[in-house]
Amino acid sequence: MIKVLGIGGGAREHSLAEKVAQSAHHPKIYWISEWRNPGIYEICRSTGGEYIIGSTTDPLFVSKRSKTLGVDLVIIGPEEPNFYGVADAVRDAGIPCLGPYRDVAVIEQSKAALRRLQWKYDIPGRLLFRTFRDVRSAKEALNEASKSLTWLQNVVLKPARQAGGKGVKVIEDKQAYLLNEKLTFKMSHIEWLSDYMSGYEDIQDRVLAEECVWGPEYTLHCFTDGKTVVGMPLVQDNKHAFDFDIGPETGGMGSISGPGMALDFITREEYERSLEIVRSVIRAIQDETGKDYIGVAAGQMMVTEIEGPTLIEMYSRLGDPEALNVLAVLKTDILDLAFAICEGRLSKVGVDFEKNAVVVKAVAPEGYPDRKDLAKGHEVLVDRDEVLKRGCKLYWGAAHLEDGRIVTTGSRFVELVAKERSVERAAELVNGCLGLPRLKGWRTLYRVDIGTRELNERRTELAEKVRRLYKFRESRGLLGSRLDWVPGMGLIDPALEVKKYEVDRT
Amino acid sequence: MPGLIGICSFGEGSEKWNVLRFTYYAMLALQNRGQEAFSIAWVDKATGSLRKVEASGNVEELLPLIDGSSGHVAIGMTSPLVSDHIVEVDGDVRVAVAMDGKTLDHRDRREACKAIGEELSSGSPLHESMLRVATKYRVGYSFLVLTEKGEVGCGRSAVGLKPLTIGSIGFDLGCVASESSALDVIGATYSSIVGAGEIITMTPLTLKRDRVIGATEEPCTFEFVYLARHDSVVFQEDVYRVREEVGKCLARGDEVDCDVVIGVPETSYPIALSYGATRRRAVKLGFVRSGDHIRSALKGSQLERLIGLQLKLNPVPSVVDGKNVVLIDDSIVRGNTLKNVISLLRRKGAVGVHVRIGSPQIVKTCPYGTEIPPRDELIAGNLRLEDIKKVIGCDSIEFLRLEDLERLISKDNVRPCTGCFGGRYAGDVKVD
Ligand SMILES: Nc1ncnc2c1ncn2[C@@H]1O[C@H](COP(=O)(O)OP(=O)(O)OP(=O)(O)O)[C@@H](O)[C@H]1O
Repeated sequence: MIKVLGIGGGAREHSLAEKVAQSAHHPKIYWISEWRNPGIYEICRSTGGEYIIGSTTDPLFVSKRSKTLGVDLVIIGPEEPNFYGVADAVRDAGIPCLGPYRDVAVIEQSKAALRRLQWKYDIPGRLLFRTFRDVRSAKEALNEASKSLTWLQNVVLKPARQAGGKGVKVIEDKQAYLLNEKLTFKMSHIEWLSDYMSGYEDIQDRVLAEECVWGPEYTLHCFTDGKTVVGMPLVQDNKHAFDFDIGPETGGMGSISGPGMALDFITREEYERSLEIVRSVIRAIQDETGKDYIGVAAGQMMVTEIEGPTLIEMYSRLGDPEALNVLAVLKTDILDLAFAICEGRLSKVGVDFEKNAVVVKAVAPEGYPDRKDLAKGHEVLVDRDEVLKRGCKLYWGAAHLEDGRIVTTGSRFVELVAKERSVERAAELVNGCLGLPRLKGWRTLYRVDIGTRELNERRTELAEKVRRLYKFRESRGLLGSRLDWVPGMGLIDPALEVKKYEVDRT
Repeated sequence: MPGLIGICSFGEGSEKWNVLRFTYYAMLALQNRGQEAFSIAWVDKATGSLRKVEASGNVEELLPLIDGSSGHVAIGMTSPLVSDHIVEVDGDVRVAVAMDGKTLDHRDRREACKAIGEELSSGSPLHESMLRVATKYRVGYSFLVLTEKGEVGCGRSAVGLKPLTIGSIGFDLGCVASESSALDVIGATYSSIVGAGEIITMTPLTLKRDRVIGATEEPCTFEFVYLARHDSVVFQEDVYRVREEVGKCLARGDEVDCDVVIGVPETSYPIALSYGATRRRAVKLGFVRSGDHIRSALKGSQLERLIGLQLKLNPVPSVVDGKNVVLIDDSIVRGNTLKNVISLLRRKGAVGVHVRIGSPQIVKTCPYGTEIPPRDELIAGNLRLEDIKKVIGCDSIEFLRLEDLERLISKDNVRPCTGCFGGRYAGDVKVD
């Protein structure tokens, strides 16, 4: 009998565990996570496996456990284990692992490294960027940009390392009369970022300043064994905490996909271009490191006026909640697929997906995402039969099972999924269940608007506007090119500046 | 018909934002909804308490008054009435309330704001209190509230008469404004309208929304005729598009002699342009304005209105000399404007002046606080068409038909308020 060990304790992993449990190989399922996810726990028990509470980022711990348990395959859910080399250790121990080597996972771990790679290898869909190692140089450069009005004025400030979906500030700075307000905010956010990043020792860059763009976003996940790259259906996640696309950045409050491989507002051609971008990134990081990319790589993309499909960041794993969209329609047996990837014969298996639309929505405790202290420790009450009766499935996320009680650990504790012929119908089903997960003595947070006709229409409108712009540029041979003219300095191609500061220097 | 703007900053670091200037520029953008008074309230960074600045006059005078102050949440209001300001109420919690439109239950906006403020300052949770308020006073207003705790609430009455839109800036700011153009001006992305009977509460950690039971969209048609900016979206309708349709309606079947079409600045421009295009007649810029944009129909005294008007409208001689002019205006309230304009046109040599009005005759006042004069001051409420023609001195006059206006704005589940034009009032109230 096949034994499988999974890593990570969120809703993405619950959905992975379920998929593994449905495999025709009838595996025994083992799992490691920092907390006891009630859903995964149940799956482990019912298949005769075991749920282990322990570190998911300690390579030695994971590889030792894999050996003593005698598992045939390890599947890594979240990103952090990838950054610590968990997959490396597992493979060193001679066990197949669906998860990338640490060296190639750098495309997610360091946003700065990804950008450099893109510019070095001339991979399309790139953004102008600058990195800074200290507060002073960052402040100077942004101050200067506010005076000279170059591209660096209109920026997104990010932690240079993947840092738990926090700290990204989109600061579109286009109203001269609000320049001071924006500048003040930029300065204080640079300080915040620098403090925040001082917790991470594994990277030199602190602050990443990136060209601010606009357009519809979507995620393209791919399976890859290093040679073959297979695209999955596109998914759109929604980052704002609140309805109306308002409020702080979260890990994602809900996602839509289908029907079919693309989304209603993304064309087949844009899908293909996005796939080519992800392929190129995988190829480039393999060339840089000499290692195969084994696992899932995903491009978080945006259609922009400058270049059409553009890379915002890369994932070295499935997104959460996006994983639930793609796994809900994956028809191929996940273990057949996983073994094929680990053994380098992905090109030999057909990867099939259902045509259905899927809507996923997260329910979080109030306080999420910025006040974990307020969001954690609340007892969860939910009528799961009622969820099923209303046509949805429930996956457990940041929820810990202890003595028969389930309590929140501070983040999205439940994700609800519906599969239907259209996004709108699936959204209706999920909306009918959003009130079911409750917290004892505390309030929940979720988004009603995701997947509704109104929001979908707005996305389509946005996409059409942006498409017109990049198509126009394309017809003039201007795709991806930018020019500034600064009085006294003349014509400036910001791309050359990026190459000079960021690529040639390193 | 004041202009409303509310801004809340979210998440970790929200206190790093100073939103006072954002508020100011949005108010500047909302001057079309009132130029006589302005007020702003915010939670002051230095003291942590609620502060308010108010004055009569032009919004531009606000800037020096807030210089050096800082706040991460604020609400602002511009009004066409002197001393019509945000109202502060000091209960268990100190709150500031701004309103567009009016409840039916109170004499004026100030009283309505006060009554609502008292309910919202009782110390019970803001969101629930707002729902209670909207359930109790069902018709005629949009409102904003700011509490000293830094909560920003907003809502539209269950009978959704006055506009309110919502949008955001990055991950940091949530903004509500009477019109979408105010969001544009401060660089916010428009998301949606606030629905009829919808109540929204924003705090640094949450956004809650709920809807009063049995809410209906009954938008004020005067918004489309005159009040809103034509670069705005209100009630999910593009204002410019509606005004163009009005022009087409006026042109259809109109065969009056016409050498040139001119619009009375500036609300009627889109109407005049589409009227001319539909009839294939030249549309020309007939007037040059002196001074700032002045909305003459809403000025206080008769004399002030006349001054505003005369500064606004000096005809261009060659455009009208020897011509049959079709003169387009958005509405007639007292008839002063038109009477004056027509005599100016004639003096510059206009042969014929045919007046086309982009709204039906205003025959009744507004119980919801739009500053339409009492009935005895409305020319169309008192005179027959023949007499109006004689008084203002035109060769012919036609109004948009009420059915056309209603048809342009009605949709599934949207029944516009056309009370002042002699139609049905929002909430089916009876007004003499
Ligand atoms: N250059 C940009 N221009 C405009 N918006 C951007 C840009 N970069 C990022 N954003 C916005 O910020 C969001 C988060 O950015 P990004 O994905 O880089 O950060 P993250 O914190 O790593 O997110 P995740 O949780 O997906 O890992 C994006 O989904 C997008 O909405």
